[in-house]
Amino acid sequence: MANDREVLREIWEGRLPVCFQLNSEEIHSLQAPDAYYLMVPRLSYFPLVTDKVRKQFVRYIHPDKQEAEMWLDFNGQPLRWHYPIGVLFDMYASDIQLPWNITVHFDKFPEEELLHCPCREAVESHFMSCVKEADVLKHRSQVVSSMQKKDHNQLWLGLQNDKFDQFWAVNRKLMEASGEEVFKYIPFRCYRGEGPFIQRLVRPVTEEGQRKSLQNLIQEVFPNETNLLVMTHGIEPPWETPLQWMSEHLSYPDNFLHLCIQPL
Amino acid sequence: MSGNQDTQKSDNPDVSETGSDAGEPPNESQQADSTVAEGTKSDKQKIDILLKATGNAPIMKKKKWAVDPERKIGWITEFMKKYLKLDRSEYLFLYVNQSFAPAPDHIVKNLYDCYGTDGKLVLHYCKSQAWG
Repeated sequence: MANDREVLREIWEGRLPVCFQLNSEEIHSLQAPDAYYLMVPRLSYFPLVTDKVRKQFVRYIHPDKQEAEMWLDFNGQPLRWHYPIGVLFDMYASDIQLPWNITVHFDKFPEEELLHCPCREAVESHFMSCVKEADVLKHRSQVVSSMQKKDHNQLWLGLQNDKFDQFWAVNRKLMEASGEEVFKYIPFRCYRGEGPFIQRLVRPVTEEGQRKSLQNLIQEVFPNETNLLVMTHGIEPPWETPLQWMSEHLSYPDNFLHLCIQPL
Repeated sequence: MSGNQDTQKSDNPDVSETGSDAGEPPNESQQADSTVAEGTKSDKQKIDILLKATGNAPIMKKKKWAVDPERKIGWITEFMKKYLKLDRSEYLFLYVNQSFAPAPDHIVKNLYDCYGTDGKLVLHYCKSQAWG
């Protein structure tokens, strides 16, 4: 069970300073809009924190585009709204000087690269799907399916409204190893470059019952490679960090570990 | 996704029919094999997926397909909509393990590696949210 509560709290409070700027080609007014600065939670998703960004910039664009879906890019790389903000930062911007400069667009939606996000409910449904998938891996889906609708709501509202206690009151049930000492499999995703993430079945213990570490996971997923760097929440966890502990403490609210892999 | 590809699903080299759910004659599977061979741009082995209708969803005449491991769920959904002659605006939900709906950019390889059974990935589909 998760009991290193300070760690959970530290992770929850991770924030990134972001400077949003309207794409200069889309400015339709005489005066260019000021940049818009926000401290955003690493654990959240962009559509949950950018209502004000939209409001700020929509006045400066062509009237025909007022209703268009807003999307973001960093250095020409469109940012996927359905990845947690901290994952996007660790993937694309971990070596920059803060603030994180993000360009705001209302035109030329990159259909090939981004999913549409019609509403907040789309984020909620994606988030809950991830939580359910993670529970399939950890507990053969037994915990999430024994929860009530109000528990699911509380999880979502806790994340959406940045309420640590509200979220963890429910999430702790998902993070219990129920009966056995460890999860069946560790829910994780590895991100590397532009391609799709990598997800495999990895158990938290060896066949002999020995606890596995982060190093074991990386060796199982990338058997022929050495000199890799693993980053999550802006830190490089030590190789010997036990996987079960990582899963309980360093997972994002969607219950997955999101590991950004770079060559050393 | 497949928006700018041609809409003739039967011409598509990246999906090939496999299996014999409906008990086809044996030479059918040979044909399928040759289709696979022609279609391969790399040595990557295709992954068998089994598509099962639930609720009010129309049945697919062919349920078993071999797809490129790098294909995304969104691509499969679009393909199925064309095959089932659904309107693009109609909804089609795909579920793994009858429990969660993978994101449209989840690739088949990841899902097969984690949730495949007996050499195939089973996907349930329906026209309204089932295991929401």
